[in-house]
Amino acid sequence: MGETSAILVEVFFETLSFWWVIIPTIFLGLIVGGIPGFSAANTIIILMPLTLAMTLQTGLVFMVTLYCSARMGAGIPAILVNIPGTAGAAATPLDGYPMAKQGKGQQALAISFVSSSIGGLLTTLVALATMPILARVGFYMHSVEMIVVMLFGISLIASIASQDMLKGLIAGFLGLMIGSIGTDVVYATPRGTFGFLELYDGVPLIPALVGLFAVSEAFVIIEKRVIVAKEGGAVKGSWTDTFDGVRIALSRWWHIIWTSIIGLIIGVIPGAGASIASFVAYQQSRSFSKTPELYGSGHPEGLIAPESANNGVTSGTLVPLLVLGIPGGATAAIMLVVMQFHGVSFGPSLFESQPKIGYGMFMAMAVAYLLMFFTILPLSRYMSHVTTVPTIYLAPMIISFTLVGGFVPREYMFDMYLALGFGLLGYIARRTGYHVAAILIGIILGPLLERYFLLALKKSDGDISTLFSSNLGNVLWVGLVLSLVLPIYFGRRRKQKVIPT
Amino acid sequence: MTFSNLNRRRFLGTSIAATGLTLAAPRIARAADYPDRNISVIIPTREGGGADRNFRAFTSIWKDKLGTDFEPGFFPGASGRVGYEVYMGKNEPDAYSLIFGNMGPEVLNWAVQAPTFDVNDYFYFGQVDKDPGCLFVGAESKLQTLDDVIAEGKKRKLNVGTSRMAHPASIGLLALGEETGAQFNLIPLSGGKNTVAGAVTGEVDFSVLTSGSVIAAGDAVKTLLVFGENVVGEALDDAPSMNSVYGTDLPEMLSARAFGIHKKAADDYPDRMDHLNTTFKATFDDPALLEAYVASKGTPEYLSYGGIDECEAFKNAMLELGAKYKDLLSGA
Repeated sequence: MGETSAILVEVFFETLSFWWVIIPTIFLGLIVGGIPGFSAANTIIILMPLTLAMTLQTGLVFMVTLYCSARMGAGIPAILVNIPGTAGAAATPLDGYPMAKQGKGQQALAISFVSSSIGGLLTTLVALATMPILARVGFYMHSVEMIVVMLFGISLIASIASQDMLKGLIAGFLGLMIGSIGTDVVYATPRGTFGFLELYDGVPLIPALVGLFAVSEAFVIIEKRVIVAKEGGAVKGSWTDTFDGVRIALSRWWHIIWTSIIGLIIGVIPGAGASIASFVAYQQSRSFSKTPELYGSGHPEGLIAPESANNGVTSGTLVPLLVLGIPGGATAAIMLVVMQFHGVSFGPSLFESQPKIGYGMFMAMAVAYLLMFFTILPLSRYMSHVTTVPTIYLAPMIISFTLVGGFVPREYMFDMYLALGFGLLGYIARRTGYHVAAILIGIILGPLLERYFLLALKKSDGDISTLFSSNLGNVLWVGLVLSLVLPIYFGRRRKQKVIPT
Repeated sequence: MTFSNLNRRRFLGTSIAATGLTLAAPRIARAADYPDRNISVIIPTREGGGADRNFRAFTSIWKDKLGTDFEPGFFPGASGRVGYEVYMGKNEPDAYSLIFGNMGPEVLNWAVQAPTFDVNDYFYFGQVDKDPGCLFVGAESKLQTLDDVIAEGKKRKLNVGTSRMAHPASIGLLALGEETGAQFNLIPLSGGKNTVAGAVTGEVDFSVLTSGSVIAAGDAVKTLLVFGENVVGEALDDAPSMNSVYGTDLPEMLSARAFGIHKKAADDYPDRMDHLNTTFKATFDDPALLEAYVASKGTPEYLSYGGIDECEAFKNAMLELGAKYKDLLSGA
């Protein structure tokens, strides 16, 4: 224990000495995270020759910092202009963008930065302390258990639909239908592809994401001829809003802690990711809130939950990579390749053979989050001015950025048309009172639910009772039912208490 | 030569030769010119993956022999199907356009689900490497030997992770089941990363996959059987080959990356095809290739030349095996 502590202290100060790598990389990460279609994973691929040329420790610090800051960067356009940079930020605009429209963009950014930094830092430390235990999570979370986790996220559709249940459910169902396009996961039989080869792997997420949220929003902006922030009041542009945002976030410290832990736990499950974590955290946050009716209207807790959770995922994905040699996500997989190039062999023996590398990755993450807190927070004042850009400039910029973003991941022209198609669908949904977020949840989580469901059935030779065959799965089923029923019960009790007064 | 020697027979002979030379001149000139621009290569997988690294390593040497550079275009999707459809449907058959695919899983795909083009309209002419499939368990699995696997498979149907149903390693497993009477249930886990994770975390009883990804997983897994020759020894835990254990004559179940070309291009431009073949072979004879391959993290033992005949035999074997196991692989 004493030896490990000494290594940790030594690695911490060594990592701090790499500030000259960390700070520029933070800004690079903010940019690539903020541009739809770009991500830490494809940036590391593009910069791989550079990464391979770096020393092992420099490369490690660079990749980890880029990973963390890109995750944080994805929230910025999601809040300011309703463009989630990645699927992991898809739940961020649900409350972040309404805040920006109310002239609270600066406050929302500060809340996002604080909850991301603290959530990321905290989960990194928790992961460091509980690594051997956390690494076991993947041994218990198999397809049956993951079905229930997916249902936690999908049940958010019902919450979103609470104002108009029929329209909400129709939108969610449409999303699930769109999500089922592509080849099935078992026998690769194409379904609903209309002969388009580009749809064989399913509807690509980024074009759907940017189309539904951003392009449709640009159409609305053009139609209403409004400036984003002018809907609720002018942007003040003073430091007060930043401090207010910090105060709001810090006063909800407990909320940051438990939603980031949700992200950490989902992050350590191989194959699960930030999009699942952010929706599950948002759903749980809303379910146990005393003011669930405020969610979706610019409620700070609705912003804190997904941002803390998706940064919790970041540290979570490192656990199976380092302890088991299994990358938890795409970025971790690329890190694996780069580190293997340097002769580092991941797996159970890493912490015995090269403890400085193992602990160093977590320490790099902790230091990156620490420095991000101080370097990015002041920028919220200036970034928020995006919302004051006049419509004639902002709308074309949104559309062109998002179309490029739709193109980048696969470089298919088809994906640009798809983004426009989803933009049109999103616009019609908005104009007719259907919630685009409900459609998107279906598109993102539907294929994952189907995948785990079909795998569970295939493993059990089609026996449906397999869904209730695991103890942990059954505990999760009970948790799911409770998380759906208890809020209704508590809501009624609150109303009953209010009526006598 | 004097005019007095020019008789009718010689005149006719010379005229025919001259005419033939004139007619052939453009083609000879074309051969001399080829290639006068970059060669585009369709890669049906994502940028940054194993195929990309392999392609860059090989073409870094080949380009000097061929005298031009290569421009890769990445068309991932549908287990490689998108890239092949783009190549066959949209690229000119003029030998300026090649495909760099995987003769194992991608050809097996055609047997299970036919593409829109005739599979005989293209052929592979240059194999770069071959990587055999293998059977492996998680480090903490109760099944630690091949005997454990077979004995347990005779008691109950074992769930076996695979990258996808139509994969050479899946065929290897089905053949193992036929040979031993053990029962296996193939579970497609969508990609190598998930297939390794499935075996390690106990989602499945064990997995089958091409060995490169298994070697990369290090201590987390233990290899028990190779569906081909184990040329890397300890890196695959000295696992024996299926044929040596059971006396079968199963062809090697390989992931084999190779360059392919339109058949029409080879028919219309035999000289260009010849130039491609010659320079491809010369690349293998250059010691710099091994250095480039190792630098790109390729397993040196897997670097393996194959010409048109070897590739054709491999492609046909995959199509034949795919047809044989089609029902099991497609759920028909």
